[in-house]
Amino acid sequence: MNALTGLDLAAIPDRIQAEVQRAIQRSIKGVEYFSTSGPMLGSTPKDVLHSRGTMSLYHYRPMSDEIYRVPVLIVMATTNRGYILDLVPGQSFIEFLLKHGYDVYMLDWSAPRPEEKSLRMEDYVLDFIPDCVRRVQADSGEQDVSVIGYCFGGVLSLLYGSIFPDGPMKNLICFTTPIDFREMKLFSNFSDRRYFDVDRLVDSVGNVPPEMILSSFEMLRPASRAVSQIQLWENIWNDQFVKSYRMFDRWATDTLPLAGEYFRTITKDLMWDNKLYNDTMSVGGRPAKLENIKVPILHAVAEHDHIVPYDAAKHLIAKIGSADKEEVVLKGGHVSLVAGANAIKRLWPKLDSWLGTRST
Amino acid sequence: MTDKITDPVALWQKMVGEMEKGFNSFATKAMETPEFSQAMNRAGGAAAGAQKQFGDLMEKYLLSMNLPSREQMTGIAERLQSIEGQLGEIRSMLNQMSAASGGSPIDAAPRPPRTKRPPSEGGGHK
Repeated sequence: MNALTGLDLAAIPDRIQAEVQRAIQRSIKGVEYFSTSGPMLGSTPKDVLHSRGTMSLYHYRPMSDEIYRVPVLIVMATTNRGYILDLVPGQSFIEFLLKHGYDVYMLDWSAPRPEEKSLRMEDYVLDFIPDCVRRVQADSGEQDVSVIGYCFGGVLSLLYGSIFPDGPMKNLICFTTPIDFREMKLFSNFSDRRYFDVDRLVDSVGNVPPEMILSSFEMLRPASRAVSQIQLWENIWNDQFVKSYRMFDRWATDTLPLAGEYFRTITKDLMWDNKLYNDTMSVGGRPAKLENIKVPILHAVAEHDHIVPYDAAKHLIAKIGSADKEEVVLKGGHVSLVAGANAIKRLWPKLDSWLGTRST
Repeated sequence: MTDKITDPVALWQKMVGEMEKGFNSFATKAMETPEFSQAMNRAGGAAAGAQKQFGDLMEKYLLSMNLPSREQMTGIAERLQSIEGQLGEIRSMLNQMSAASGGSPIDAAPRPPRTKRPPSEGGGHK
């Protein structure tokens, strides 16, 4: 160590050699990166039980010798594809559930067609979800169904649960689910009713384009995309890093358009009037108060969630009518809470221990 | 072993990380202002209108060239998806009918029994 400069002079040749090797690897892997596609995502074997327009219901093939009595229906967020929960073997939440003895179904979404611009909140909460629940009951032969909602899928599940408090939902698990939309400060400002003419937008474009949804997500952290490109270049020699980058980048940019009328309701009822938090929300004229939900509920939130900040999610458990309710705050962000290396260590085992005892 | 403090690569990575945090924080503060919302929505409204007009114009152009528009191609893809969905449903119904009549489902493995107990109650992980 050089006492004057603080540099370890003996280590410099090794460091230079390592950097030269990485530079060579970057060139080779860089070419590979652009000439190959990423890992295949969402490949856990499944059957399409039902498909209707924007909605698809999958049943995943069991992977254990015996399964819990109560099937699980996952309700995906309407802005993104469900394969975030089924990335690749070893990093798939679906695979984890199957191997731990759950019978798993997923309500996933595809881009709404132009003629589906008139889909309303009612269609999602009073038609799509109940329809899927009925099909899960018929397919599994069980009356009880546990529901897992991710992000806005959690909001839809809460609305469903509050309108149908007498079942058949047996347990409810929400991941990073906002209820106080005032606290989603940037989204709230983007959709400020003084300046954002949602009627004009929906009337002119029909379905809200995915580019707009993606831009609004990316604006929450405007420097992060550029920085992630720099990090990709620095780490392109590292196959594990590149694989992970490609999985998450593909999913994050695979944003779905939103049905126009549905978006109008989200903006007016949730972003502007904060009706879910204020207990004034209704869907198709049916009151949707969170206090109506009496089933066991687990709410998992991320400590560093920039999309759904903790303040937007923290009141959920207090407002739910259940006696059996729990909030768990875990390290991670909006996506890393549910997918990736950290989820494997943190969220998934917690969910298994909570849901297993309530699935018999 | 190179010390992180004296490692130029680690220093560069730290600097990039700090710049990201700083810029995000600065931008967030700017984007929380009503002025930003006003400017963004003015630009966004104009862009949405222009996008719609351009789409209509392009549709007319493609029609005159006797070519299908993206919307029509999407429509065909969606119809195919719908047919696939209906085939899936027919298969599902056939499976249910087969199961109801005592036979085994056409293409599915037999389902495991719903007898699993949580490990805390003595049910092991299989």
